Amino acid sequence: MKRIKFLLVISVLVLALGVASLGVMAADKPPVVIGLQGPITGALAYEGEMAKQSCEIAAQLINEEGGILDGRMIEIRIADDAFEPKAGALAAMKLISQKDVVASVSTYGSSVCEPASNLYEKFKKVNIAYGATHVRLTERGLKYFFRTCGIDSAQGIFFADYVPRVFGAKRIAIMHDNTTFALGVAEETKKALQPKVDAGEVEIVYYDAITPGEKDFSVPLTKVRETHPDVLYFTGYYPEAALVVSQARDIGIDCPFVGGNAAINDEFVKIAGIEKAKGCFMTQEPMPAELPYPESKVFLDAYKAKYGEIPSSPWPVYAADALNIIAYAIDKTGSTDSDVLAEYLRNEVDGVPGVTGPIGFTEKGNREGVPYLMYVVNEEGGFDIYNK
Amino acid sequence: MRIFLEQMLNGLTIGSFYALIALGYSMVYGVMKLINFAHGDLFALGSYLGFTLLVWGNAYVTSRIGLAGGMIAAMLIAAIGIGLAGIIVERIAYRPIYPAGRLPAVVSALGVSIFLENIIMVTWGPRYQAYPVSVVPTLRFEISGIHITLLQIVILILSFVLLAILYYIIQKTTFGAAIRASALDRDTAALMGINIETVIFFIFALGPALGGTAGVMVGMYYRQISFTMGWNYGLKAFTATILGGIGNIPGAMLGGLLLGIIEMLGSAYISTAYKDVFVFLILILVLIFRPRGLLGEKVAENV
Repeated sequence: MKRIKFLLVISVLVLALGVASLGVMAADKPPVVIGLQGPITGALAYEGEMAKQSCEIAAQLINEEGGILDGRMIEIRIADDAFEPKAGALAAMKLISQKDVVASVSTYGSSVCEPASNLYEKFKKVNIAYGATHVRLTERGLKYFFRTCGIDSAQGIFFADYVPRVFGAKRIAIMHDNTTFALGVAEETKKALQPKVDAGEVEIVYYDAITPGEKDFSVPLTKVRETHPDVLYFTGYYPEAALVVSQARDIGIDCPFVGGNAAINDEFVKIAGIEKAKGCFMTQEPMPAELPYPESKVFLDAYKAKYGEIPSSPWPVYAADALNIIAYAIDKTGSTDSDVLAEYLRNEVDGVPGVTGPIGFTEKGNREGVPYLMYVVNEEGGFDIYNK
Repeated sequence: MRIFLEQMLNGLTIGSFYALIALGYSMVYGVMKLINFAHGDLFALGSYLGFTLLVWGNAYVTSRIGLAGGMIAAMLIAAIGIGLAGIIVERIAYRPIYPAGRLPAVVSALGVSIFLENIIMVTWGPRYQAYPVSVVPTLRFEISGIHITLLQIVILILSFVLLAILYYIIQKTTFGAAIRASALDRDTAALMGINIETVIFFIFALGPALGGTAGVMVGMYYRQISFTMGWNYGLKAFTATILGGIGNIPGAMLGGLLLGIIEMLGSAYISTAYKDVFVFLILILVLIFRPRGLLGEKVAENV
């Protein structure tokens, strides 16, 4: 009996070895491994899953074209950070410790990205964030950190250009909630408006914070009302945004309401109610469906063919572009060395066509020229691009 | 002046929420000498019960019995449901440990608070829930520059009616006298033939019932509810209780209304960011300079 068992084990082992060697033989060149760190589990698992699918589609498209470096396939290795800073550091270490991982797409969320990117930096591995927009991330002088998504200040610049021009707004009220993100957007908006303020074209009539988690905004809103604004810009998150717009209408503020890119979503419409939500605006990165580039069409068609629907948030396509640009850099430099790649990404990459438009990086590692769009809530509670 | 009046109105509205919740604290403390820290979460549970009733079957209730009917039905269901919950909490979490003294009961109350909060999270989910717009009156009007909503008026009237009824029960009826007697001295009251069991049963049903009703009102007023809301409202209402004099029923009403007004005027004329600071500053000042509160007869104990 023992003997039979022993033989069985041996034969299984032999078989396994055979299959493994067959596999190696089939692919004549080793794959190029690129890491993906994202919230695969946890509260934002939905985002993580879409990012994973996006990277797989991006890799699939490259591999179908014959891969990179004369026929080497791209392989994705996933590390889950569960949208937690601590788990993010562990996930980063997991990818760093695997020597065949060349570079990493990492990650969603500024708070998770910050510690992870410090580790990548320490161990010299190129990492490109796809959903971490806080200004500070690229202010740390990191050499190996880049991002394909936008940055909070770009949103402020967009607002400062668009709103006075299109809405003809002269008296602008800005409200934030003192969180790093919302304060960041508000400050950048104020900064971007400053030239127009100096020229006397617009006036910032209100600039103050509300307390997040608070439910009663009647006092700050009364103050807003007394300044008679032409537009109210709220840069915080949707739970407060919904209450702000609802209470603002109740006390007689009838000017257009513009929310930042975290202020308006389905929940906003639900809480504020369609009557008050419709006609609200938001400054937002383009949704995948509205990307106009030929590369976007190819990508989204492939995504839809495999998963039935295109990604429902702006972020996953930035993950695809992070992967694309890493692959592009490896292919062009013919190297998988982190220093060569970082150097190339920073200085040579410029206007490379990507799913989300031309890709280029600034000296600090920010994406160049991320477009923002003005969306408006329509009668059914959906979001349309505002064309005017 | 216009802004002052508007903020007074807002202050009265949230003050009446505090007053309704504070009554629960005060009645329980009066008779049991127990600070029922689970009270805030019972209030939140009431908010969710009303929410469930109003969104149930796509606003079926509202479509059958109208807006006003739906509102009253939600408040009634919340009052009854939370009244029952209050009795159950007393039976399970407080009664078995009374003989051990007062401090274990307070710890038990904190435990119940955490338990209820998590029950709400598991049942209704951790995300914000919203009372649909279709179940509350949305009419708003302007009287010589003062903006007011119909809902605000309804809430103010309803809560003042409730406060008046409770005031009448406590101050004018025989049973109210029994409650007041129990609050003054339980043992002597029992010797005088007052059934303490009945009194305890009554306050643990009535206090939470009022809190549950306030929960529905808060839900309708802000339309956004979360499973953690009980703690904050609980603390504010507790402060109102201390301000008015703990154990004193009219004191709790006065404390709640005053606190709402102080909070609103303070944030209107000094700083919005310090809104909660005013509230807890008052708690500290009252505890230092007048521990028995505005209308209280007895010294509040440190717990």
